[in-house]
Amino acid sequence: MSVPKLEQLSKSVAQGPSLATGAVPTQDWMDIPAVFKSGNYAYPAKKDKVEYLNSQKGLYFPNAREWSPEDDDWKLPEDWKNIILNGLKERLDKFRSLKIFMDCCVRCGACADKCHFFLGTGDPKNMPVLRAELLRSVYRNDFTLGGKILGKMAGGREMTVGVLKEWFMYSYQCTECRRCSVFCPYGIDTAEITMMLRELLHLVGVGINWILEPASNSNRTGNHMGLQPHTFKDNVEFLVDDVENLTGVRPNISFNRKGAEILFITPSADVFAEPGLYTAMGYMILFEAIGLDYTWSTYASEGGNFGLFTNNETMKKLNAKMYAEAERLGVKYIIGGECGHMWRVLHQYMDTMNGPADFLEVPVSPITGTKFQNAASTKMVHITEFTADLIKHGKLKLDKSRNSHVKATFHDSCNTSRAMGLLDEPRYVLDHVVDNWVEMPENTIREQTFCCGSGTGLNTDEIMELRMRSGYPRANAVQYVRDKFDVNTLACVCAIDRATLTSLNNYWTPEVTVCGLTELVGNAIVQENEGENRAVLDEGLRTMV
Amino acid sequence: MDLAEAFRNYRETIVGKWVDYTLSTYTSSDFFKREKDQFANPIGASVREALDSLFVMMSKGTDPVEFKGPVEKIIKIRAVQEFTPAQAVAPLNAVKHITREVLAADKERAVFVKDLYDFEFNVDLAVLAAFDIYMESRERLYKVRIAEIKSGSHILTDSKCPSKLLNEESQEFLKSV
Repeated sequence: MSVPKLEQLSKSVAQGPSLATGAVPTQDWMDIPAVFKSGNYAYPAKKDKVEYLNSQKGLYFPNAREWSPEDDDWKLPEDWKNIILNGLKERLDKFRSLKIFMDCCVRCGACADKCHFFLGTGDPKNMPVLRAELLRSVYRNDFTLGGKILGKMAGGREMTVGVLKEWFMYSYQCTECRRCSVFCPYGIDTAEITMMLRELLHLVGVGINWILEPASNSNRTGNHMGLQPHTFKDNVEFLVDDVENLTGVRPNISFNRKGAEILFITPSADVFAEPGLYTAMGYMILFEAIGLDYTWSTYASEGGNFGLFTNNETMKKLNAKMYAEAERLGVKYIIGGECGHMWRVLHQYMDTMNGPADFLEVPVSPITGTKFQNAASTKMVHITEFTADLIKHGKLKLDKSRNSHVKATFHDSCNTSRAMGLLDEPRYVLDHVVDNWVEMPENTIREQTFCCGSGTGLNTDEIMELRMRSGYPRANAVQYVRDKFDVNTLACVCAIDRATLTSLNNYWTPEVTVCGLTELVGNAIVQENEGENRAVLDEGLRTMV
Repeated sequence: MDLAEAFRNYRETIVGKWVDYTLSTYTSSDFFKREKDQFANPIGASVREALDSLFVMMSKGTDPVEFKGPVEKIIKIRAVQEFTPAQAVAPLNAVKHITREVLAADKERAVFVKDLYDFEFNVDLAVLAAFDIYMESRERLYKVRIAEIKSGSHILTDSKCPSKLLNEESQEFLKSV
């Protein structure tokens, strides 16, 4: 090889964008168009899914069609611009928060370097401030006096197809994780700006399949996979068999049982996909150990709510299903499994959408008598809160040595940490079920936790590269504890995390497996009647027997 | 005074310029260059750490097998970013020119420029390793994608779900005719 001159190295042999530097912008950000190519966008929603959703009462998903982001023509409705601007006006009137967020940003830049998409791409439009500016510039142009008079000089710009494409690109390069909002001195919730962008895009038929198909499945059969009641039941029963084979104790379960004290709702991924299956087995072992009077539901068979990633109406409808089922069965309250955005919807939006759930009772643990005042309005308790309370009162017999194969660290899920403050309970549980666990560095955990990079319906395989780079800040911290402390297990309390961190680790740190916290609880529980039937479980519930 | 000492004296300058050049390949790179915390700025810190240790190895003539560690740290990241394969590995080569430039600018050490053959050969080896690692990373990416598609599906395809049984029955039927 010859000795390169830097200038030559910076030019492509094919005279394309510079070889070493890619395309370094010499233009203003507003003038750089979004370019869609395989791997940087999620597939658009299938026509029949959009049609189905649009046919449902209370939902509005117009302009179903075949289209591709790579095409110049996105087949938008003729008056798409009016639809968008009217949609924005309607939302500015409806949501005071949006109006404030549009007006109060002073562009201090505190959020700019806090986003995992920015940290993984170096793309300035992934700085939360600039992502918000994509909407704010249109707001300024059409809804503020300064913008109307001064236009671009006041930071305004006209709504064009190019702007719309940019919205699509960057509102789907945001996982609504809200890490940026932790650092915003004004408390601007950029996630809500992304939510508005996505809502507006749905008004002209621009959405992705990985979100709309699970949302339509949930609406139709009650869960993301579209599992029908008998299949859901079969899958759960398989897990009962598995638990019996492993531990020698067969958990009692029931479905749709009226008069049960508690309804248990968890993400459907827990009953059909690894590694969630082991977490579901953990739930059963836990409930069996304390003799809980609970029921599964084959209708409210999904904790996840992909409505959160589409629009308010869909979120409300999917959330309402859980409460309708709780009312129908006449339970006292709900225990929720390890899920992320289910809890976000519950803690941030449920009360004003479908609540308060006055037909239920304020949750009281039947084992310890603890009243969960934090759930006084939503009537739904997180499994980890419930477990931590059991441990605190000495109601569980735990043998940490059953997790001796585990050297764990804990990933705070964005939604449970930042949207509901579930920070200490999982750590308390970990303290009692494993001998050995370590924290990741301070600026990557608790409120400052880094997203898995694939939340908000971005956990689809066609954007795997995007997910790997946006998940790098998280993976980087996992790498650190792996190298320094030989960590081999990443525990978390979210179904999407369990699936997506598995892929993330497979790329960055294949030595580290991912598990749900309740899987570790299930491993450690000593059942009263387990006797000699319990197999030797060197790898806990994952042991092949 | 010899070349080894020149490498030692100029390590910080050369690596600094090399890191700067490499991070300039990102559209908005000021933060990547500035922030030193490895968790607040994972890409900037990884590139800095890896290029520094790679420079030391190449200038000391360490066994080229060892290059893999630092090269992997950088290329594994660049393999999942929006670079062409050539763009992903190109910055590694830049150290040749940077080193010549830095040494040439120092009158007392300009004489060592002619002795850079071994060092530059090591750079070539590092670039070749980068091609391998780039491909390994892409292959890993595809495997991760396949593993994800497969995960969970066995329950749906191999379970007692009636539609699956129906499918098996029809498969049996098809075999029999």
